[in-house]
Amino acid sequence: MNIELSDITRKFGRNTAVDRVTLEAGPGVLGLLGPNGAGKTSLLRMLATILPPSSGQLTLLGRDPGNPADRREIRRRLGYLPQNLGYYPSFTVVEFVEYFALLKEMPPHLVTKAVAAAVEKVDLGSKAKAKLRTLSGGMLRRVGIAQAIVNEPELLLFDEPTAGLDPEQRVAFRALMRDFGQTATVVVSTHLVEDVGAACSEVALMSNGKIVFRGTPAELTVRGETGQGVGDAPLERGYSAILAAARA
Amino acid sequence: MSAVALSRPARVLRIEIRRSVVPWSVPLILALFFFDSYRTAAGFPPNWTVHASAITNNLAWDFAPFAAGLGAWVASREGRRNTGDLLATTARPAWARQAAALGATLFWLLLTFLAAVAALYIQVALQATWGGPPLWPVVVGAVQVVTLAVLGFTAGALFPGRFTAPLAAIGAFLLVFIGFHAALNLTPDSSTNALLSPATGLPLEDVGVFYHVAPDVAIAQVMFMGGITVALLGVLVVAPVFRVRGGLSGAVGRAGRPLCAAGVVLLAAGVAASWTAFALTGTAKLGVSGWDIPALHDAASDQPIPYTPDCAGTAFPVCVHPAFSGDLPAAAAALQPVAAELKGLPGAPVRAEEVPAAGEGVSGTPPVYHYDGNNGIAPFLGSPAGADNARWRAGFQQELLTEFIAGPPNAGPRPDASVLPPTAAQQAVITALMTVAGSQAQFGEDMTNGHPTAGATPAQIDAAAQRFASLSTAARHAWLAAHLPALRVGEITLAQLP
Repeated sequence: MNIELSDITRKFGRNTAVDRVTLEAGPGVLGLLGPNGAGKTSLLRMLATILPPSSGQLTLLGRDPGNPADRREIRRRLGYLPQNLGYYPSFTVVEFVEYFALLKEMPPHLVTKAVAAAVEKVDLGSKAKAKLRTLSGGMLRRVGIAQAIVNEPELLLFDEPTAGLDPEQRVAFRALMRDFGQTATVVVSTHLVEDVGAACSEVALMSNGKIVFRGTPAELTVRGETGQGVGDAPLERGYSAILAAARA
Repeated sequence: MSAVALSRPARVLRIEIRRSVVPWSVPLILALFFFDSYRTAAGFPPNWTVHASAITNNLAWDFAPFAAGLGAWVASREGRRNTGDLLATTARPAWARQAAALGATLFWLLLTFLAAVAALYIQVALQATWGGPPLWPVVVGAVQVVTLAVLGFTAGALFPGRFTAPLAAIGAFLLVFIGFHAALNLTPDSSTNALLSPATGLPLEDVGVFYHVAPDVAIAQVMFMGGITVALLGVLVVAPVFRVRGGLSGAVGRAGRPLCAAGVVLLAAGVAASWTAFALTGTAKLGVSGWDIPALHDAASDQPIPYTPDCAGTAFPVCVHPAFSGDLPAAAAALQPVAAELKGLPGAPVRAEEVPAAGEGVSGTPPVYHYDGNNGIAPFLGSPAGADNARWRAGFQQELLTEFIAGPPNAGPRPDASVLPPTAAQQAVITALMTVAGSQAQFGEDMTNGHPTAGATPAQIDAAAQRFASLSTAARHAWLAAHLPALRVGEITLAQLP
């Protein structure tokens, strides 16, 4: 298992963002759904080794991220795209991706090829030498994806990855996620249930810091058909039915 | 370290250098440098040490706000650009990432600094006739730039806001101002800790010419600023520990004990170095060529620097140190006319020679007039273009005549403090001899009204001087030959002058 969470809790002062979550995930694409404030981003930041858990046991890629040496090894094999991508406007696309490849401690002799491949995968080859300040929001999102995948990570974490992408790019990105899911564990936090339906092999639905549903997109759809969900699409109905049940 | 480990930081550094914000500021820094340091130094005498003083006195002002401000701006980038989360997931530790950003900032700042130093040194190289570029001021200036940049960088890393950079720039400017003020107010009686400031004020014109400038103070300054730099790097290394919640021991465990230990060691070593430098400057004493720190002083540096003087003239050779050979024709043209008036008189100098400060007077056998580059003729040696040449010429001539006529005959080199003000008769004779040489003497009011003039007014002295000057050369010479000993000891009155 690449992700093993046991009774993980994360508190910010008196507020409990993640409440005794237990989760295991191996290779595949796991969609993390939930309303605003459900704790998705906090959970993702713990998986990204940015936040330590307040309590509970967290194991990533078979290592303990609380140990500095283990954490460093996890980070070498990790890709992360935050919800709000910060960037340096004077860097070019290639420089930005190369910068992160080097900070992820990729072997230097592999960096140049890996950067070129990552930039091509997000369809930014023609903009490789463009300064980031000249790119549109969608292009910047793709730069963020490129830096996340440049090191061929075994654990790939995306927070709202398709926000700002046009439909064509969104479809391409879903295919990319499915490709990575063949060998790596991909966790996607999103509000867009169609992303989950198209790309995820599993879904976890969070509400009030807890995981209230874990299953496949098909199982989520079934819940929509049997429950009291509302929405235009079957997945949306499943999503809202589970949330309604959780709140009740 | 393996080649792989070496090349990764080098590549990150290359990206940082290529995309650094510092080059955008370089034109402004260079403009400031030109209008401040370069043009100021252009007015200095062609002495390497004097020119080098522009590095610590002027360049510091030009670079300080930029070094600190740019350091803070670069360090606060992660906070301003919201890249903290993204970077926190990378394997390289924060200190390594910051080191690359700081390294790139220092690369451009030091490159600009060295270019400015090169321009200053080329400026003096085109004029100087002796000596070579001193390196210690360059080292001190470079360390100052590094220290201020690291200071700004630390501020930016700890407080990553938009206002940190301008505040750091203002703070650095104030620091240099305080240091400059302390250095200018430094006296042998005051606390010598002010020597920690790299600023020196404008040094004497012959500093570093007759004696080496001891590196003692420069070493202490480098130790002090280097210590601050190392301590700040230690702060940067341990700072992330204090951002982690959950108690100090938990934070140390998460950050890694070796890293925390390294940070604490750096902090302690830096503080120790700075404190040692502070203590060392407290023991400083004035030596032959500036301030010496006994614990750092090499006595060998007190030995005079050998040189062969450049001389002009045969009847009355005038010699200067080769560092001032450009001034030799003017020096000879000033001294030779008055020396001709003294020729043949008992004890009259047969040549003039430049000596280090506090060594002037008429002495030796045959008598030689020793003058220095700082007293009496300061406006002469290395006088900037546009100086009042007639005035320095007169001052230079008056110095010689006063030494010969009013100074103790053949007393040998003596400090200025022992020179008595000329009596009224001595003033009249000096004024007359200068009038004959085409110059005008100037005596201060205090001398005219003081005891040596015995109440004679300037008008009475002038009248006597005109009378004496109107005599034929032979008559003046004969009278001086007969009455010189009495004139020297102040026994001649105005009325006794012919």
